[in-house]
Amino acid sequence: MIGPLRLVRDLRRAVDLTARRLRGDYEEDEWGFDPAFAATADPLLRFLYDRWWRVTATGTEHVPRAGRALLVANHAGVLPWDATMMATALRRGGLDRDPRFLVLDWAFGLPWASVAIRRCGGVPASPYNALRLLEQDHLVMAFPEGAKGVGKPYGERYRLQRFGRGGFVELALRTGAPIVPVAVVGSEEIYPKLGELPLVGRLIGAPYVPITPTFPLLGPLGAIPLPSRWRIAFGEPIAFADLGPEAAEDRALVLELSEEIRDRIQAMVLANVIERPGAFR
Amino acid sequence: MLITGVSSPLGARVATRLAADPAVEHVTGLDTRRPPGALADTITYVEADLRRGELAGVLKLAAPDVVVHHDIVQFPEPGRSARSLHDLNVIGTLQLLAACGELPALRALVVRGSASIYGSQPDAPAFFTEDLARAGALRTRFQRDVGELERLVEAFARRHPSVVCTVLRLQPVIGATIDTPIMRLFRSAVVPTFLGFDPRLQFVLDQDAVGAVVAAVRTPVRGPVNVAGDGTVSLARTLRRLGKRSLPIAAPVYGPAVAALARIGTLPPLNDDVVRYLRNGRGVDTMRMRRDLRFVPTHTTAEAIDAVALAIRTEHGHGAAA
Repeated sequence: MIGPLRLVRDLRRAVDLTARRLRGDYEEDEWGFDPAFAATADPLLRFLYDRWWRVTATGTEHVPRAGRALLVANHAGVLPWDATMMATALRRGGLDRDPRFLVLDWAFGLPWASVAIRRCGGVPASPYNALRLLEQDHLVMAFPEGAKGVGKPYGERYRLQRFGRGGFVELALRTGAPIVPVAVVGSEEIYPKLGELPLVGRLIGAPYVPITPTFPLLGPLGAIPLPSRWRIAFGEPIAFADLGPEAAEDRALVLELSEEIRDRIQAMVLANVIERPGAFR
Repeated sequence: MLITGVSSPLGARVATRLAADPAVEHVTGLDTRRPPGALADTITYVEADLRRGELAGVLKLAAPDVVVHHDIVQFPEPGRSARSLHDLNVIGTLQLLAACGELPALRALVVRGSASIYGSQPDAPAFFTEDLARAGALRTRFQRDVGELERLVEAFARRHPSVVCTVLRLQPVIGATIDTPIMRLFRSAVVPTFLGFDPRLQFVLDQDAVGAVVAAVRTPVRGPVNVAGDGTVSLARTLRRLGKRSLPIAAPVYGPAVAALARIGTLPPLNDDVVRYLRNGRGVDTMRMRRDLRFVPTHTTAEAIDAVALAIRTEHGHGAAA
């Protein structure tokens, strides 16, 4: 008896939820983040986390439970799956926060993708957006390698690219937010980039169009990432509060700190590559 | 004090509020069209075309201490064709400022600008602060107009440091009494949207647009100030709250499709600003409005949309009864 009753109740709840959605009666914050929409991706993300990429996460306790913080991670893998897995790892680690992530501006000109990214908590990677998010005490994920990171060739997959001009350090200094260095290992193997199609890229305005073993050979199926084994390591937070916001004006200091953090993440990446049993095992 | 564009629906409401304010001694209203009857009795109305030189005499006679330049037009109106908008906005402002320069008693100038100056770009900051205007290319005609207009006001402010010059950059104004392409879209049967896009929109309710101008007259601040209801609402959620159907159209054919629907009268004509706004949206930061202008809108963006939804439903109710 209980079974059918529960089914009826669940069904009624689903219908109710849909009706409220259609009336526009749902939450959405000023950034366009839509918690209910983001939750619908959960089952897929859980599957990818547990079964597909068999993620091992360490150091989630280093991420502040409340207040502003900037997560700075290496970036690889053509599509930003690393951000979603970092968020899932934090949720698993008992962190009840919705991290926001800075996404390459270019993605916001794309149909559908732009909408999905924004509803899940992505914002265009502009310093103004990051500043406002941190001032609102959000947890912000940044990938200073940017497009150069996701587009690096397979042979250099574990070598971090230049960290831009250190803009993320400037933000941390200005807002007093601690930086949590993060190393993601495994995203490098999900779309092994063998080459590029620069002409096609220029044609559609994309930063680059990769050639992988499955793309463009298998068409849209090429978007299915390979099932590599992942490790995500959250390092100890680095606090800048004692330096004060004026330090953000000091170019030399900003570049030095940026280099230091890059080195630390590079070391964390290599340590986790060694600790991992194998890329696909 | 003196207000231009006094016969437009919003201009008339600003003038009414100011005329009723005991702190305001006398209101002179300029326009090319007669103001609504009730207002004409409480203010001195002068029929004047801002684009012509006769302005200086009128201003000298009125000798206002505050000038509100409200006659900025984004959309064609009866008697004001699309081709005349640039002249009205830019040449009108130029003439007005020239006349203002000869007023020794002038202490404040409040200009109704537009947040259109920031444009609508997919990769834009989510919330423009006042210092980010003209950072990118000015792409639409109205955007160039307000850009030029603000440059004129800046130059005037530099030459006349004793006059406090405020430019209010309003996000699109909505409300039951407003007749703009966006409001006409909200009233039409379907709203054309860009297939695969769902921009963040931000609005000001009409009464708050009036309130902001009145606040700027009371507390003039130097430079531009963004004016908007709190928060942003996505277009999809806006339409659902309004109970409207969306008609998704693929981006490459959006322009021709919307133009065709406008020709047969299904939709209002949409200019570039509106089309870009419906594709990419825009948000502005309103910290300066709260801190310096000391103005807090009565309605957030979501509440403004709900107020419009209620008004439209009531209109329909009356329509069915009639």
